Amino acid sequence: MKLNMLAGGLLATIALAGIAPVQAQDPVTLTYLTSQGWALDAHLALADKFKAETGITIDTQIIPADQYYTVLRTKLNSGEGPDIFGGQSGVNTLIVDLNVEKNAVDLSGEPWAGQVDPLVAEQATVNGKLYGLTYWDTLGLVWVVNYNKQVFADNGIAIPTTYAELKAAAEKLKAAGIQPIFEPVADGWHHTLWFNEVGPIYEAATPGLAADLNANKATFAGNAKMLENLTQLKEMYDAGFLGDNALADTFAEAPAKLAAGEVAMVVAPLAYSASVQTEVPDSDPNNIGVFLMPIADNNILNVNPGGPTMFIYTGSPHIAEAKQYFEWLTKPENLQEFIDSAPQVLTLPFSGVQKTKFTAEQQALMDQYKDQRGIVYQIAVSYINSQWMEIGKDITAMFTGAMTPEQVLESVDKRRSELATAAKDPAWQ
Amino acid sequence: MKFSRYPFYFVLPALALYIAFFIAPSVAGIAFAFTDWTPYSDELNFIGWDNFIKIFSPNERYLTYIQNTLIFTIGTVILKTIFALALALLLNDSVKRFVNFYRVMIYLPAILPTLIVALIFRSILHPSTGILNRFLRAVGLDGLAMKWLTDPAIALFSVIGVDTWKGVGYIMVILLAGLQTIPRDYYEAAQIDGANAWDRFRYVTLPMLTPALVVVSVLNVLYGLRVFDIVYALTNGGPGYATEVISTDIFKAFSLGQYGLGTAVSTLLFIMLVFAGYFVIRLLERGRAQD
Repeated sequence: MKLNMLAGGLLATIALAGIAPVQAQDPVTLTYLTSQGWALDAHLALADKFKAETGITIDTQIIPADQYYTVLRTKLNSGEGPDIFGGQSGVNTLIVDLNVEKNAVDLSGEPWAGQVDPLVAEQATVNGKLYGLTYWDTLGLVWVVNYNKQVFADNGIAIPTTYAELKAAAEKLKAAGIQPIFEPVADGWHHTLWFNEVGPIYEAATPGLAADLNANKATFAGNAKMLENLTQLKEMYDAGFLGDNALADTFAEAPAKLAAGEVAMVVAPLAYSASVQTEVPDSDPNNIGVFLMPIADNNILNVNPGGPTMFIYTGSPHIAEAKQYFEWLTKPENLQEFIDSAPQVLTLPFSGVQKTKFTAEQQALMDQYKDQRGIVYQIAVSYINSQWMEIGKDITAMFTGAMTPEQVLESVDKRRSELATAAKDPAWQ
Repeated sequence: MKFSRYPFYFVLPALALYIAFFIAPSVAGIAFAFTDWTPYSDELNFIGWDNFIKIFSPNERYLTYIQNTLIFTIGTVILKTIFALALALLLNDSVKRFVNFYRVMIYLPAILPTLIVALIFRSILHPSTGILNRFLRAVGLDGLAMKWLTDPAIALFSVIGVDTWKGVGYIMVILLAGLQTIPRDYYEAAQIDGANAWDRFRYVTLPMLTPALVVVSVLNVLYGLRVFDIVYALTNGGPGYATEVISTDIFKAFSLGQYGLGTAVSTLLFIMLVFAGYFVIRLLERGRAQD
């Protein structure tokens, strides 16, 4: 009897289990592999909020920057990629380093795809397909000339829009005993900005130049606009506009000198006034103005649309959840929350952004050149970013008279050829 | 005497490790110098002497880098040896008090990390804010205040000066040890024979110090030829390419993914080191034999 009761109880338990509601599946965890520096606190805070709302955990795995691509490539090539992986956008990087056509999910049809700034989307697109979500402030990092308004006003100088005007302003400032431009050549990278950042003006002078350079159908040597740029840069150095000790100066010295009016101008990011105030707390951020680098008569906003970008791995078992995460991130309220909570972020490259952190003057510059923008040459042209420091050495050699502007351009071509040959680039075969 | 294989059995494990971890990678490294090895491609093609032809091409800067390396080597060998010998003689004979204190102070720069030394000297040699130029201007020697690290005409000599300051203590210790092995009797005998101080230095000290001089010369030459850290940290090969040396160029080649070319330059440096070491020893040993 007891045995029968026990068997009956067991059967009842099994029956009840059968009709009981299906137990919820294990909560999903999305692994996100990224490089150090690409995951801001604001990114992590949004991931926590996403988990609270959906139950999906974002497991952010941060790899030291110098090892990141090695780790990522090993995982991707061994078929053990994370659900989401990070990578710098830029068509060459997408093809060479990330092989997105094999490793990343096509996101062209996602609801947020149409909201991405076209220049930014272009850098995450290969053969017409959008592969990545660039959740990074690419626009706030536009390099422009930051100037001390008070110094300009005291010397009766208007914002220069051409090289001739810049030169005239510099002469006036120098005569007044003020160093016109602070150029920290000792850092090795900064003075290269004068050459590569104004790439859009080369493109305007020779439409299709970047494409021809990438196809190995054009060269830097012999390009009149580039030569004009370097010749003017050399002229500014020789005239002392960059100071007597430009070769020993470092960028870290710039905020104090600019705030104090010891120097009148420095090439720095659009939002540099905030950095100046951080370094020099009693300085007035509204005393720092901005204008485009007028070298080579540049009048096009130099946008660097590349930045840390998120991709969904094709081998992920959670592609739907990863897409859900991307869609959630691009909701206007989440975009705004990210902008508001990250001190170094002014905006995000989405049309859904309601409110940026640009100052009125910065916003005016962005608005003024809204339809007059171009991509900087370190992004638009292959094998430029990878030789950035070497171009800097060439320009320094040009300053000291060891190289001519023509030789600098030839040197850039030579290294491009070597890098392309090493990479077995079909255009150089 | 009968040949016995037995002792060789003891050598075999160490020999195997030496072959596996030194000889084989070295030979492989030399072999890669004849390829187009790059991290951007899985292909590895034999390209003959192309990398070496490129190194010696007049259109490239490698010959300038080799020249800079040789100037650095010769400069530091001469300066370090002269200063180290002078300091060693002072501490061995003339200075009687606080000898150990002076030894430590002179040796101290040798144990400082190169990066720290470079940062200190970048500050000291800054053309406008550096204390060297400030001092020169303060004492009315404005004409001697120079752009020590940013004038291409003098930057390499500034690097030589800084490296001499850093390395002289180490060389001094070796020479001091050599001086202390010379028996005092020789000096006393020379003095009785009427030898003055110069004669004693010329005919007693120098010949007896030759083994130590051989050691420091070989060490200095090999160090000079493969110098990297002080140049990289102090000038990064600049301004422009004015202080670029072979090792900084190898580093640059590898950072640009030109592994084959970088290995070729490394192979060339290896050959230079072997020849330089051999000839320095032969030269000094011959001088010793003549003495």
